[in-house]
Amino acid sequence: MTAQSPIEQEVAQLLVETLKLKVSAAIIDPVQPLFGDGLGLDSIDALELALAISKTYGYQLKSSDPDIKVIFSSLRALAEAIEKNRTK
Amino acid sequence: MSVAWQQQKEQGTHRSLRFMVWIAQSLGRTPARTFLYPICFYFLIGFGCARQAIRRFRERALNHPVGWLELFRHYHAFASTILDRVYFLTGRFDLFEVEFHGREVLQQELAKGRGCILLGAHVGSFEVVRSLGRSQGNLDVRVVMDEQNAHRIRDITKELNPVVAETVIQVGGVETMLQVKECLDQGGVIGVMGDRVTQDDQTVGCTFLGQEARFPTGPMRLANVARAPVVLFFGLYRGGNRYEVHLESFCDQVQLSPGQREADLRQCVQRYAERLEAVCRQAPDNWFNFYEFWGE
Repeated sequence: MTAQSPIEQEVAQLLVETLKLKVSAAIIDPVQPLFGDGLGLDSIDALELALAISKTYGYQLKSSDPDIKVIFSSLRALAEAIEKNRTK
Repeated sequence: MSVAWQQQKEQGTHRSLRFMVWIAQSLGRTPARTFLYPICFYFLIGFGCARQAIRRFRERALNHPVGWLELFRHYHAFASTILDRVYFLTGRFDLFEVEFHGREVLQQELAKGRGCILLGAHVGSFEVVRSLGRSQGNLDVRVVMDEQNAHRIRDITKELNPVVAETVIQVGGVETMLQVKECLDQGGVIGVMGDRVTQDDQTVGCTFLGQEARFPTGPMRLANVARAPVVLFFGLYRGGNRYEVHLESFCDQVQLSPGQREADLRQCVQRYAERLEAVCRQAPDNWFNFYEFWGE
């Protein structure tokens, strides 16, 4: 498994807590898919996660963002987008 | 299995759909309706699994043996609503008598300045919702649909009314529910169906017409996460050119307590299944799930 960077650890923790996943945040591979086959998350989980990200980091994900699928593709991509766009 | 409808979907329906659209537009509703008889006859005779499924549904809902005439009437109601979609989509509301029950329920929700979820089922006509939009000014209704499994319906909708086709929210993308939330935040109304299970859906077992059936939990999870009120919608076909629209307040917020999330979710979906059951008994001809709903 690829190691998690500090921000990835933080986002993984947020993900596990928000979605009440029964896995430990530390075992989420940053380069593996989060949705579908990966962690088995669906579009409603993505919404719940997006709302938590907005609350925690002040970054509002938009469905119209052309990169939205890439952003949600893995923990790494998500953490990068948060780093780039966070307002708090 | 409850995804059986996907397998038996659209068998031979493509040509008949095109044919019906053409007849509907060139001849008008009354002459077009005479064509429904041979079409219903063909589907009734030609597809045994669907026929058996409807027979079993009716036996459960009505507790009496079901004959051919009754089955034919069921098919005819379905075909009528498919034909009428053409007219609803092209704005020909003048052809119909639509009776509204509980219209104020939706008005009250929208007056609060936020959107709501209109939770329906594959019962009667969802398209009759367009007549509601017409009577309520600029009602922004967007239907969440699995278009990949109904791409022919999508193509025809696009031809008949590109504006309506544009408002359909396609499921399957990771960002789908984000789009739904954005629409709700703008005070929009989101139409979702709560009865059919598709491959990737999370489900829960609920008692429905006396036996356990799987229902998707998606609509209630969505309402919970988006904190959107839920209003039930049933657009029942009542023969001739008559429709009845029923709107019922379902809940202001779907609450799922951390310790018993699953149990709360089940209870909520069960309550929906009970309302659906009542509607099915009241208007059995309107049940349009032509597959073994309770599994095999």
